[in-house]
Amino acid sequence: MAESLIIETTDLHKSYDGVEALRGLTLGVPTGSIYGFLGRNGAGKTTTIKVLLGMARPSSGQARVFGLDVDNPEIRRRTGFVSEEKDLYDFMTVDEMIRFTAPFFPRWRADLEQRYLRKFELPSNRKIKALSRGTRTKLALLLALCRGAELLILDEPTSGLDPAMAEEVLQALVAHVAGEETTVFFSSHQIAEVDQIADHVAIIDRGCAVVTGALDDLRERYQRIQLVFDGDAPQGGFRAPGVVRLRRKGRMLTIMSSGGTEEIVEEASAMHPLSVEVVPVTLKEIFLETVTGEE
Amino acid sequence: MLFRPNPSLGVPIYLQLMEQVKHAIETGALRPGEQLPGIRPLAEELVMNPNTVAKAYRELEHEGVIELRHGAGAFVSAQPRTKKLAEAVRDAQPVVAATVKRLRARGLTDEEIRRLFEAELAGMRRGGRRG
Amino acid sequence: MLWYKSWLETRWRFLIGLVLLIFSALSTVFTYPQVLKLLPMVPQHINGEIGRRIREAAELARDFRGYVWSDWFRQNLPEKWTLFAVLIGTGGLLAHSSGGGTLFTLSLPVSRKRLLGVRTATGFIELFVLAFVPSLLIPLFSPAIGQHYGVGSAVIQSACLFIAGSVFFSLAALLSTMFNDIWRPMLIALGVAIVVSLVEQAPQVSFGIFHVMHGESYFRHGALPWVGLLASAALSVVLQYGAMVNIARRDF
Repeated sequence: MAESLIIETTDLHKSYDGVEALRGLTLGVPTGSIYGFLGRNGAGKTTTIKVLLGMARPSSGQARVFGLDVDNPEIRRRTGFVSEEKDLYDFMTVDEMIRFTAPFFPRWRADLEQRYLRKFELPSNRKIKALSRGTRTKLALLLALCRGAELLILDEPTSGLDPAMAEEVLQALVAHVAGEETTVFFSSHQIAEVDQIADHVAIIDRGCAVVTGALDDLRERYQRIQLVFDGDAPQGGFRAPGVVRLRRKGRMLTIMSSGGTEEIVEEASAMHPLSVEVVPVTLKEIFLETVTGEE
Repeated sequence: MLFRPNPSLGVPIYLQLMEQVKHAIETGALRPGEQLPGIRPLAEELVMNPNTVAKAYRELEHEGVIELRHGAGAFVSAQPRTKKLAEAVRDAQPVVAATVKRLRARGLTDEEIRRLFEAELAGMRRGGRRG
Repeated sequence: MLWYKSWLETRWRFLIGLVLLIFSALSTVFTYPQVLKLLPMVPQHINGEIGRRIREAAELARDFRGYVWSDWFRQNLPEKWTLFAVLIGTGGLLAHSSGGGTLFTLSLPVSRKRLLGVRTATGFIELFVLAFVPSLLIPLFSPAIGQHYGVGSAVIQSACLFIAGSVFFSLAALLSTMFNDIWRPMLIALGVAIVVSLVEQAPQVSFGIFHVMHGESYFRHGALPWVGLLASAALSVVLQYGAMVNIARRDF
């Protein structure tokens, strides 16, 4: 299925002072999708975003946005960004911040500016350093949404927000995407929100993408197979591909598979289990099984 | 009328939305010819991905449950197929009820019964292979 | 809008410097009558370097022009102006590594070169004002004490100060692209200025940045220190170039 990819990285590596933050990251964000980028703290989410926006140079590999190489400043003209810290110019007021940002973008949407000012209830004359985190996030979001950008890159947009405010932010995003032709690439370690609004996802662990794909696809492909045996669960691995994780506990053997469940179940039947159950798996379980430790 | 899909069920969200629409039609909450909420307002209200809503609507149209009229929106089909589907579901209900009753009588818990059904359905989804 | 932001970032340093220098310039003018009165009482017999300087200052002060040079262009103005050159030169993208909107700035469709360029230009304009405006108050207010000081002289002396002294501004700017905080660039640049100034005060040393800033050859012989001015300007350009290279290749 030939989809155009608005963001594409191939075997991306990035080291800071000898520490490898990204080790061969490969992913593709389809145009028009809401793409969730999940990973633990320190997995490389922010580094990836910095590379995409030209704030840090890749050590090797390729990264393209809008088909352009990442060191092209044209990318930033068409992209809206919200940093993890939501940090803006503390010494400016809300109004000054908007007046400062708007002229950089010829496609600035004054109509959206008015709408979001009202909707987010932003105090025009308050200095940014006096704003609460939630209000700062909403301002940062406004500055990103009003640019007339084709792509939004958000680093943990709801971090530090209470659930009600987080929901407001998600709702504003969803409404914006529905009304404008925009792709959203957002990083998060909140699985619930990725579940809720993303249609594609990538899970990054220690600088590599361990899972990528359409969310619906993943929900159908990943399954848990539970086998119960008469005696202790047998040792040994499975030849069938798609085994993500094996866990043995007493008489139970649990397998998480990323596809090819039939073959695995066939192989398992040869071990004569007492029972075989196939159960669907949530994104959270996929995440936990693909990023934690080895076995 | 339409509730937020639950991501932790492990069932794709668009399928859940489709089920909800079909259920609404069966129970009469949505009548043939009636207009469904637009993709954008629905996505906004349920705070879910508009692409997912669009996908659900497309699949429903593919199944003939709804019609997408260009520029006007989504409408419940007036087709008899919908009614047939709704009737088939209504007829199936007592079959399922009887089976569940029998299994419960054998001492199975609801959780076990659910797992059996899901395992069976998982097997059936892949080309009708019987386990 | 980048200009406005740079102004907001440096305005207090600039305004405080301006007020301080204006006050100092006016003070130079209006204390002259007092100085004249005290001249006969200057001790002539103190030995050593200090004695020599006191005698020299007294000698210069007999003449208003000499007094202005010795008090303002050789001492008060360079000392204070250099301090503010370093203060204003410090800062920029790195200074706000966490909080201060660095990532936001870098996400704008502006090249890093331009970001640095606007910041540098703002600094230069502010330092230009600080170099010339207080100095021009001297010819303006001298008649109030019955003296005369040529506008031309003030302009030329200020130009020497500005061009040669820009080295310290550029040094602070370069150091700001090397460290994440604002303290190290500031202290190192000030340290360098102090050391250079002390070295140049040694009697054996007859040239140097501060010598050019003082416009000594112009004061004594009416000759502009061309070589010194060109060398300082070149050094300043090199330091600024270094700052730009640093910023361009930096990972944030």
